Amino acid sequence: MLKMTDVKKVFRTELVETHALRDFNLQVNEGDFVAVTGPSGSGKTTFLNIAGLLETFEGGQYELDGQDVSNLNDKARSQLRNEKIGFIFQSFNLIPDLNLFDNVDVPLRYRGFNSAERKKRIEESLEMVGLANRMKHLPSQLSGGQQQRAAIARALAGQPRFLLADEPTGNLDTKMALSVLELLKTINDFGTTIVMVTHDQHLAEQAKRNIYVRDGKVSESGEVVSLENAVNA
Amino acid sequence: MNSSKWEIGPIFRALMRNKVGAVLIAIQIAVTMTIVVNSIFIILERAELMKRDSGIDEANSFYLTTTGFATDFNAQSTTTEDLEAIRNTPGVLDAIQINAIPTSGSGWSMSFQTEAGEGLEDEGAAVYMIDENGLNTLDIELIAGENFTPSDIRWRAPGSPDWPETVIITKALSESLFPDENWQFALGKTIFISSNQPMIVKGIVDKIQAPWVGWSDLEHTVLVPEKTLFNSNRYFIRAEPGQRDAIMPEIEEMLASSNKGRIIRGMRTVEETRERSYRSDAAMIKILSTVMVILTIVTGLGIVGLASFSVNRRKKQIGTRRALGASQSAIVRYFMLENFLISTVGVVLGAGLTIGLNVLLVNMFSLPALDWYFVPAGMLVLWLVGQIAVFGPAKKAANIPPAMATRTV
Amino acid sequence: MFAYYLRLAFKSIKRNPILSALMITAIALGIGASMTTITVNYLMSANPIPHKSEQLFYVQLDSWSPHEPANEPNEPPDQITWTDATNLMQNKTAFRQTAMASSGGVVEPEGQDQKPFMASIRLAFSDFFPMFDVPFLYGSGWNAESDDKRELVAVISKATNDKVFGGGNSVGKTIRVVGENFRVIGVLDEWVLAPRFYDVTTGAFNETEEIFMPFYLKQDLELTNGGNTNCWKSPEGEGFQAFLQSECVNYQMWAELPTDADKAEFMDFLNSYVMEQKALGRFPRELNNRLSDVMEWMEIEEVVADDAQIMMWLSFMFLLVCLLNTIGLLLAKFTGKASEIGLRRAVGASRTDLFIQHLVETACIGIAGGLLGLGLAFLGLEGIKTLYGEFVQNLVGLDVTMVISALLLALVSSILAGMYPTWRACNIAPASQLKSQ
Repeated sequence: MLKMTDVKKVFRTELVETHALRDFNLQVNEGDFVAVTGPSGSGKTTFLNIAGLLETFEGGQYELDGQDVSNLNDKARSQLRNEKIGFIFQSFNLIPDLNLFDNVDVPLRYRGFNSAERKKRIEESLEMVGLANRMKHLPSQLSGGQQQRAAIARALAGQPRFLLADEPTGNLDTKMALSVLELLKTINDFGTTIVMVTHDQHLAEQAKRNIYVRDGKVSESGEVVSLENAVNA
Repeated sequence: MNSSKWEIGPIFRALMRNKVGAVLIAIQIAVTMTIVVNSIFIILERAELMKRDSGIDEANSFYLTTTGFATDFNAQSTTTEDLEAIRNTPGVLDAIQINAIPTSGSGWSMSFQTEAGEGLEDEGAAVYMIDENGLNTLDIELIAGENFTPSDIRWRAPGSPDWPETVIITKALSESLFPDENWQFALGKTIFISSNQPMIVKGIVDKIQAPWVGWSDLEHTVLVPEKTLFNSNRYFIRAEPGQRDAIMPEIEEMLASSNKGRIIRGMRTVEETRERSYRSDAAMIKILSTVMVILTIVTGLGIVGLASFSVNRRKKQIGTRRALGASQSAIVRYFMLENFLISTVGVVLGAGLTIGLNVLLVNMFSLPALDWYFVPAGMLVLWLVGQIAVFGPAKKAANIPPAMATRTV
Repeated sequence: MFAYYLRLAFKSIKRNPILSALMITAIALGIGASMTTITVNYLMSANPIPHKSEQLFYVQLDSWSPHEPANEPNEPPDQITWTDATNLMQNKTAFRQTAMASSGGVVEPEGQDQKPFMASIRLAFSDFFPMFDVPFLYGSGWNAESDDKRELVAVISKATNDKVFGGGNSVGKTIRVVGENFRVIGVLDEWVLAPRFYDVTTGAFNETEEIFMPFYLKQDLELTNGGNTNCWKSPEGEGFQAFLQSECVNYQMWAELPTDADKAEFMDFLNSYVMEQKALGRFPRELNNRLSDVMEWMEIEEVVADDAQIMMWLSFMFLLVCLLNTIGLLLAKFTGKASEIGLRRAVGASRTDLFIQHLVETACIGIAGGLLGLGLAFLGLEGIKTLYGEFVQNLVGLDVTMVISALLLALVSSILAGMYPTWRACNIAPASQLKSQ
């Protein structure tokens, strides 16, 4: 379970104060597949960053899996990210100098698994995304869809409770986007909770639950798509 | 500590994808190590040379040359009067006439052998002509036998080929002349100067260096009981502690005014003479030290520069690693480890180059061979330099926020 | 277009000021160190008499002991005996020749207020002056007649002339040296030789002497021995004349032999002379005479100090490190500019355009490094002067050749250093950098 109560996030520069999130309230239950939409600048990514413990926040409370994470230090946060959260990024963020095997290996290293365990998990997760035969390939030798699948394999290898996806299909064409989405659905079916930020309504519709963020607040929530968003998309 | 944290395999494979930068640093480290280790070796060797003790009271002594030019110049009476006057000057501990000065670079050398005859094995030795005050003036210790007596001392005319009947030699020369015996053996023995002139060893002194600091038999020295009757003669004066600088001008003035038929020249302290003789060694030490330090800084800054660039280039990657659960210390460790791998290649290569350069120096300039432990010590130093240099950029990398991963650049 | 590239270069250099400064400093340090040591070596190994160094030959005769060579493995002594010097000078078979000795003596200026002083003396034959292109301010050298008649004539250095005669034309005046009155026959102009090739036995970088006089006066005036005296056996008999007749070497000899035939002929002369002497019971060793031209002799006498050479090689390695450093930094810098390069390619810049653009940038860095390096070389040479003292005075000047070489070295080495990074930068595909990452 992921629960945010009155979470605030302010970005300050010398001149401007931007309230990225104000009194943000959200609860994501175990096994859910939530799509977060909203116009750019609405605070979607900030929400995802905070949810994924990539950023800290100023006010309110955030509980991840029943644990209050508001005041954890960097080391503890890193460890939580590593153990409980998997990330998928819009531009895949595969490390260009490492082959797929080593890319998937990255979070497992930080987890402290021994090499046999790591090897097993890497092979399983690449198998699952259908890239078992590409283990020695570098990211640059793969198509965008394959790269994103590899990134998903990396996210899954540590068997996280939560999968956070930031525009996971943003850099993919429709066909590849659909295949990635199908993959996410499958993962969700196995019990992993997914939170996906997207501006693509069609994609959002595929999720179990939709959340609309505007001006740093959850302004609507439900499975119904608002007219306004449909127009935006 | 879990071994999975040490990402040697992935780091190495990633490095192999960016060989050039890594190779450049490795070669830099290797060449730097080569220069640094060989420089340190040369520096230590020179410092060792400079540390050698001439055996005389360097701190309180000085010398000067008196050259007579007047047609009525009388070397014998001048020397006798001068020494008398100098010895009676307050602040002077003792004074002698001598033909050469230790460490000065010029002097007399003769060959000595234990049996008379031409073509026999001999030992070269520096010759100092002194009188009965010599040991006291030079501050050398007689460890066996007797000092010269006034009646031993004779006057040497210019071009005279023969030698006095007695001689005092150094312990080192005694050991070289009689290699199978202990050093006392030479006492009372007759040795032969320039093949066949006998001299009886009257005493043995602990130590006094020959004038030529670069000579391999630096402590092969003899003292002979003579004063010279040349036009140019040299006085060696030992002052009371602390009095040297005060009495130098006094003595010069006194000698110059006492006899107008000669000039006083080349007055110099023994300390300055030593400084001049070892000047090129001292200079070499300073130059090599400077080069070494600058070079290490250049290499260090080069590593800082390249690492900073690589951190900047890999911001997104670092953010991703952070997002995937790398703690700040894991990021620091990554860069330190990466540098360590590059340095390792560098220092291994450097070890080879270091030895190679040393072999070259040995062959071309007859420098001594490097002691083995300089190589591992050098490797350690360069490893450290690399680690220190990369620490700043690594810290910077660790401060890249994990949110960098979701930022679209 | 070049101006545009230049502007781009300056912009690029300014954009990463620390990185640029690091590269310029690295090149400057490398150039500074190399130029300092190259200068010292260049001056030490300079040919002091380039137009005739191949015609001047130093004479060595192996008059040494039957039991051992003068120097291992079988080198003749580096000087000759009085007997041989005078015998060889009796038969003047070479175009020009001179035996020489160094000595010293007291000069007594006439004025009451001027103190007597010790002067260095070179004893030589009349050929010395034309042979070694000795520059005269007033008068000239003495002639062969003065040699043989052992006349009390002297050629004095400019400094001595300034000191004793206040700098005027003193030819014909009398100068009192070693208690004798000499007639001044010539005054030298400034004569700086580095190395002082005609006699390097006591160090190659001593100054030229203050007074020159005919060689045979050594015997008449019983002048002291300067330089090194080496004997393999003791003089037979007492006194100065006995010493002169001994097997002690203290004299140098040069011959000017314009052609190879002259050289061969002179060598024959030396060999037959030694054979004659052997008949008289001298020269117990095998025939081992040598004629070395100026540069060969400098080589044999190891005029360039080992330390100077070691430092030069170390400084080259230093330069190498600095260049590797620069290559690395340029590589990093140009990689950082990948998107800019991609964009330029996309809007139509050819690979050559980009190559030139980046080469110009590299060259700018090189020239800046070179100029700074030149400054450092000046400092370095000043440092060497301070460390080594007065005897290197003539070895630490930068001349135009060295300044130009320094800049060239900086330019060439920085362009070489920039080559690979530039090549890499130019091979970035036009499109690759335009996609967002």
